[in-house]
Amino acid sequence: MVLELQKPRPVWQIMFSTHHTDVGLLYLIMSIAFLFLGGTLALLIRAELFFPGSQIIADSMTFNRIFTVHGTTLIFLFLLPSASAVGNYFVPIMVRYKDMAYPKLNAIAFWMIPPAGALIWLGFADFTWYATPPYSIISSPGPAADMWIFGLKILGISSVLGAINFVVTILKCKHPDMSIGQVPLLAWAFLSSSLIVIVAIPTFAAALLMLLTDRLGVTGFFNPVMGGDPIAYAHLFWFTFHPEVYVLVIPAIGMMYEIIPRFSRKPIFSKSSGIFAFVLLSVVSFSSWAHHMYATGMSFTEKTVFMLGTLAAVPASGMHVFNFVATMWNGRIKFLTPMMWSIGGIALFFSAGAGGVANAAMPLDFTTHDTYWVVGHFHLFVMGTIAFGTIGFIYYMFPYVTGRMYNETAGKIHFILSFIGTVLVFFTQHVLGLYGMPRRIFDYPEIPEWIVMNQIATVGAMIIGVSMLIFLINLIHSSAKGKPADIHDPFGLGGKYYYPFESKNPHH
Amino acid sequence: MGHHSNWPEWIYVGVIIAIMCWVGAEAWNVERLVEHVPADAETIIVTGQQWFWTFEHEDGTKEVGTLHVEAGKAYKFEVVSTDVNHSFNIHDYVVLMDAIPGRVNTVWFAPDKAGEHDIQCREYCGLIHYNMRGKLVVEDPLT
Amino acid sequence: MRELLGLFLVLAILVIIPTVDHVFAAADEPGEYIDRRVLIWNLFFRMMVAAFTVGAVVSGTMIWLCWRFRESHPKATPTEYEKSGEFGAPA
Ligand code: HEM
Ligand SMILES: [Cu+2]
Ligand SMILES: [Cu+2]
Repeated sequence: MVLELQKPRPVWQIMFSTHHTDVGLLYLIMSIAFLFLGGTLALLIRAELFFPGSQIIADSMTFNRIFTVHGTTLIFLFLLPSASAVGNYFVPIMVRYKDMAYPKLNAIAFWMIPPAGALIWLGFADFTWYATPPYSIISSPGPAADMWIFGLKILGISSVLGAINFVVTILKCKHPDMSIGQVPLLAWAFLSSSLIVIVAIPTFAAALLMLLTDRLGVTGFFNPVMGGDPIAYAHLFWFTFHPEVYVLVIPAIGMMYEIIPRFSRKPIFSKSSGIFAFVLLSVVSFSSWAHHMYATGMSFTEKTVFMLGTLAAVPASGMHVFNFVATMWNGRIKFLTPMMWSIGGIALFFSAGAGGVANAAMPLDFTTHDTYWVVGHFHLFVMGTIAFGTIGFIYYMFPYVTGRMYNETAGKIHFILSFIGTVLVFFTQHVLGLYGMPRRIFDYPEIPEWIVMNQIATVGAMIIGVSMLIFLINLIHSSAKGKPADIHDPFGLGGKYYYPFESKNPHH
Repeated sequence: MGHHSNWPEWIYVGVIIAIMCWVGAEAWNVERLVEHVPADAETIIVTGQQWFWTFEHEDGTKEVGTLHVEAGKAYKFEVVSTDVNHSFNIHDYVVLMDAIPGRVNTVWFAPDKAGEHDIQCREYCGLIHYNMRGKLVVEDPLT
Repeated sequence: MRELLGLFLVLAILVIIPTVDHVFAAADEPGEYIDRRVLIWNLFFRMMVAAFTVGAVVSGTMIWLCWRFRESHPKATPTEYEKSGEFGAPA
């Protein structure tokens, strides 16, 4: 199970395996591949926007397709699968079970993703990651749009299958000696996020089918020409995808709960408050979806309700930050790569949340909505918090996966460059939004402030690009040639880990 | 775990809740004020379509791309669309409202000084979304 | 507990009184229009003052924590959990 790369096996043995660490490895490799594919598209977008006018992308349609596939890829083909990778490796071990509850279903859920990814990439649709009607019905060119719809349909089913598997594994397969309160926070994170998936995804799944039949012209659910209502789609979409942002962030926080105590050499400050905040977040994540729709002409009352629902999620997020700070307090912190990524992630978590609160305060949304402010806001989350937590965790699990150590210096350089780049790109984009630059535009008028800020953002993006190249080289080189890791304590912290525990309790 | 006290965390959560209450109350209040359309506001029908804006004044005159208004008056925009979603935006005056086919959304403003301002589309609407731009020209009152 | 209640009372008053004040002060005088730019950007700046204040406290705390509790700090001592190695891993 561990040490995959030290004891080489034929590739097909991993591919046809249903064992949780093999499926986890597949998830991990695939998600990293999509991180680089999607990241390349981001660099193309930034390069194009360095100057006003058309630079490297020939026309706006190509540009629109690029940002659509960029967003779709990084959310659905990087963030979600990379969380599943971590869950596959750690959840069964943490609940002391031999595998996932349904190993075959687990493998099937994974193997649904590559064809879905292929549909999205070969189609290259242009209707943004939320495929809003009526544009997506009457204006967006097929077959790209239809391929995207089928791709997302498959991904949704895969997510639900994976989520069911996590829930059953944690609730039904945990060791009989273990109470639910003893289940570690990382596994709790997967329990909470999986429950959100099961409740949230079906709504979007239904909306996608309706969108498809609308495109075929046989129905008019969302098509005003046929008596439908595009706003209905927006509700269905955001009912799924506001909670979905918590599906993304909760596992990342769970990963930080694994790293921060270990590298502070202290147990977590309050496990019960961590569990409480996870459960609370899962519930209140459903109370705020229409904060994405303030400008669609909602009534004052509706807006107020969704603003309050949004603000209600803030205390729970704040409790996690408190827990991290209190855990580090009086610790003896070892700053190795995984710890640096986690701390960087927590620092950016605050800024991202503050931007979100501003979006949620209804009148302010008229200054920020659909400008680059929103792009900055959610990238501080998806990149600054979620990807940071995940990348830190990839470094953390690297010795367990490969049996070798990654290069520590390269890991630190990767972190520092990425942190600088992230701040440059996404803080600047907040200000750019306040200056009124709309998002999703291929070209912009020659407003001096816009030009300068776009250039800062592009430079930041290139710095992130360089750092990710260092990451890739580090991963490939170290998995083949890295120093063998001391598998009982790869980070020299003197504590117990989940993996060594498990390797002393072989189960196959 | 277990042998530490929890009161700092409760205070901390209390402070967050208090700040959120403040944010909510302030936002609610400002929203209430800016949503209240003055009774004497003149209506302008704003139509978004791929990829330009049309404006129809109360007296029936129509303009394409450029909108002329008078300083010191209040205007109520009735924002509609004939094809896909757009979003009518005069950023300098913090005016933003989606144009959604099948709906009439309203937003109002009162320009105070003569000048020129950009009008743009802030909701993705396809090929030329990036250049679905217009001009607002605020003129001094004739009288 | 007393102090806590007092604190919340003060905060509540700070929020409620100005709001109620505003609500009843808003009259509708013809020819005099409110300026949405002023209202909205003022709100924005008030919120940014709050955000940056809280942000300074949070990031200040984090930076101090990282500096003070790094293992290379002269005063760094092993935590009480290091002997057993119980950082929350399997019991
Ligand atoms: C948990 C991590 C979060 C993630 C991953 C996240 C992600 C996102 C994304 C992707 C969008 C843009 C959607 C789009 O239009 O394409 C967005 C917008 C928004 N977010 Fe967040 N968000 C998070 C947390 C928050 C929090 C904590 C708040 C408020 C307290 C918040 C408030 C908002 C609001 C109001 C918008 C709508 C902005 C607009 O379009 O005008 N978000 N967020
Ligand atoms: Cu949301
Ligand atoms: Cu547009």
